[in-house]
Amino acid sequence: MTKSPFRHLRLRDAGTLLGLLLIGGVFAVLTPVFLTAPNLLNILQQSSINACIALGMTLVIISGGIDLSVGPVAALSAVVGAALMVGGAPIAVAVLAALGVGMLCGLMNGVLITLGGLQPFIVTLGGLSLYRALALIFTGGTPIFGLPDGFRALTNGTLLGVPNPVVVVAVLALLAWVVLNKTPLGEYLMAVGGNAEAARISGVPVTLTKLAAYMISGALAAVAALILLGRLGAAEPTMGNLWELDAIAAAAIGGASLMGGRGSIIGTLVGCIILGALRNGLTLMNVQAFYQLLATGIIIIVAMLIDRATAGKEGH
Amino acid sequence: MARLTLTGITKSYGPVQVLHGVDLTVAKGEVHGLLGENGAGKSTMLNILSGVIRADGGSIAVDGAPVTIASPQGARAAGIAMIHQELQQVPELTVAQNMYLGRPLRRLGGLIVDRGTQEARARAVLAQLDPGIDPAAPVGRLRVAQRQIVEIGKALLGNARIIAMDEPTSSLTPTEFERLVQVIAALTAQGVSVIYVSHKMDEVFRLCQRATVLRDGRRVGQVDIADVSPPQVIEMMVGRELAQASHRSFATGQVMMRVQGLTRGRHVQDAGFTLHRGEVLGVAGLVGSGRTELMRLIAGVDRAEAGTVEIAGRVVPQGVRARISAGLGLVPEERKREGIIRHRPVAVNMALPSMRLFSRLGITRAAHLNRTAETVMGDMQLRPLAVRRAIGTFSGGNQQKAIIGRWIAARAQILLFDEPTRGIDVGAKAEIYALIERLASEGHGIIVVSSELPEVIRLSDRVLVMREGRIAATLPGPEITEANIARHAIPATRP
Repeated sequence: MTKSPFRHLRLRDAGTLLGLLLIGGVFAVLTPVFLTAPNLLNILQQSSINACIALGMTLVIISGGIDLSVGPVAALSAVVGAALMVGGAPIAVAVLAALGVGMLCGLMNGVLITLGGLQPFIVTLGGLSLYRALALIFTGGTPIFGLPDGFRALTNGTLLGVPNPVVVVAVLALLAWVVLNKTPLGEYLMAVGGNAEAARISGVPVTLTKLAAYMISGALAAVAALILLGRLGAAEPTMGNLWELDAIAAAAIGGASLMGGRGSIIGTLVGCIILGALRNGLTLMNVQAFYQLLATGIIIIVAMLIDRATAGKEGH
Repeated sequence: MARLTLTGITKSYGPVQVLHGVDLTVAKGEVHGLLGENGAGKSTMLNILSGVIRADGGSIAVDGAPVTIASPQGARAAGIAMIHQELQQVPELTVAQNMYLGRPLRRLGGLIVDRGTQEARARAVLAQLDPGIDPAAPVGRLRVAQRQIVEIGKALLGNARIIAMDEPTSSLTPTEFERLVQVIAALTAQGVSVIYVSHKMDEVFRLCQRATVLRDGRRVGQVDIADVSPPQVIEMMVGRELAQASHRSFATGQVMMRVQGLTRGRHVQDAGFTLHRGEVLGVAGLVGSGRTELMRLIAGVDRAEAGTVEIAGRVVPQGVRARISAGLGLVPEERKREGIIRHRPVAVNMALPSMRLFSRLGITRAAHLNRTAETVMGDMQLRPLAVRRAIGTFSGGNQQKAIIGRWIAARAQILLFDEPTRGIDVGAKAEIYALIERLASEGHGIIVVSSELPEVIRLSDRVLVMREGRIAATLPGPEITEANIARHAIPATRP
């Protein structure tokens, strides 16, 4: 057995990474600013919110589900956390409350899917409206301003020159990687998504596994909300519009199968950076936003075509 | 003149040669067996015949005239039809529509499908095969056996002169098999030749006049069935003699499990029995008699409406996990759908019920897991012994070993085998039998559900015969005979 540090880097991940290098190479040639340290950090920072959402989405997709409700869950977590902070609650309490709201939303999705026996797409589509409505009702539709400086300093600070959100997401990604690849829960997620009936007969706690996936997704949506909250300094009840699509795109580019059972944390992270680098590069080149959207669409479809063409080349 | 002649057929996938110049000759009106273990090249031969893939070399002739089969359409034009193991039908469409699927009869310049004529012609063809099938009924409402006859009728509509059947009896009851025998007789009487692919020696010996045996992509030989015995054919298939072991018993008097009054709808009614340490309890009965359903109730996969399962003197609550904790393990009937996680390694598939044994502080002990998997699977002769390879890349027999290994690793005391050798080739079958016997000798309690009577008879110390959801009889050792089982399994005909 090789002890190479890259032994965990599977062929599919290497492909995603190659895609990133290609895109990066093109932009490096076209715009000199692209390949500078501040800009690269900028890309990571801009990708951090999507990455945070996409980590949870990857686990949910691997379990054979989908979570369309992440954006509104983020918004609901944000407005609850912000309201508490503005109301004078300690920052830690507000942060925990926001995380709690996210997990609670995830739990509700999970319960409806497992015990209710409903399809994940439909449940989280309902959640998409429901949680958004709750956020709007809670705030009366207006943003919550006046977040304490202490909180903003947390999310806008840096650690050894790296923006805190990037550090946080890196730690979360490491945790997600460990969960997926090094714990029984990870095996259960892949088993449930790969063949739910076989997993059940083998004694895998199918319900708990799915609940865990949706709760993690909800909690990570709350983390993403907190990051944005600090950056904006205000809680918008309309926050997180279409976040679910970016996250699904990143996971799919990274090799997650929407049929369930397969996916990669490394792949998803690289997928997020690909999407972030694309937007950043095109912006630097002063390409109109409409064309950025076009490029994103093309990247997703090309990635899937390559995936399809190379399917089965890997030994699993 | 031979109806079908294949000469020197070769086929490679990349560097792997799967057919090394195979010959096959089928006479007019003959039922010709095509035999071999999984991987011997039967499927490749069938795929070449039906135009799914192209041979690299060799020639094919029908009635003496050379033909090129480059596509499924080409096969049809050459008069060759294939009855797949998994029937390729659209359940919502009618029998007649399915028989004309892809090439409907048209009228009014091709704009309108002529359903009336389709049904009339379908009816005419089906009348020779099974007049009970209504051409206007949706195919989804037919039983599998009838759907198979619809496929055969479709082949006849396309003027097929050669019909290849791939394991046609894998989901038929004995009565339905008799029907198929009649249908095949009707076909051969019309001069149609049948290529019959099967693992079941009794069927081959009943139906075929000659057989071609393949092994490792080569033709081992062609035999006249009248001149050989099943063990001789099996030896040709596996290349060695299989020990025809007789039944050995390790049963003790110690009760391991007591099942009482187990009931679920009409599938299982008031089922009760005991299982002893070291005992192999066979469960026989027709398809649909409730055998699988009974296993699922015992394993906790389905919920029972009434009844109890008692292990070591304690009633075990419902639910798969409770039953697994109590020492039960189910080796399910449909390996692909209920057994394996295709993309995951053998080691992981083996460890699923016992991840707790393979983790510490919430972290999987991968090295420990892989080592254990190598020991357990090595002991069961997994081939190749590559426990980190995806289970989906292994043969059916090896997948089955991994599923059995799953319960050995979980230290299950009672194993429920539902059709343990379905879709498994002859050599691996003998290994599974030996394994079941070894588990019994080590003091496990074992239940084996099987549709193959020789299998039940070979393995069981006692046999439960199920009929219409109930346990109709319990046969002790000396009374386990095909005749006795059949007598209790077949429902009494009502006036």
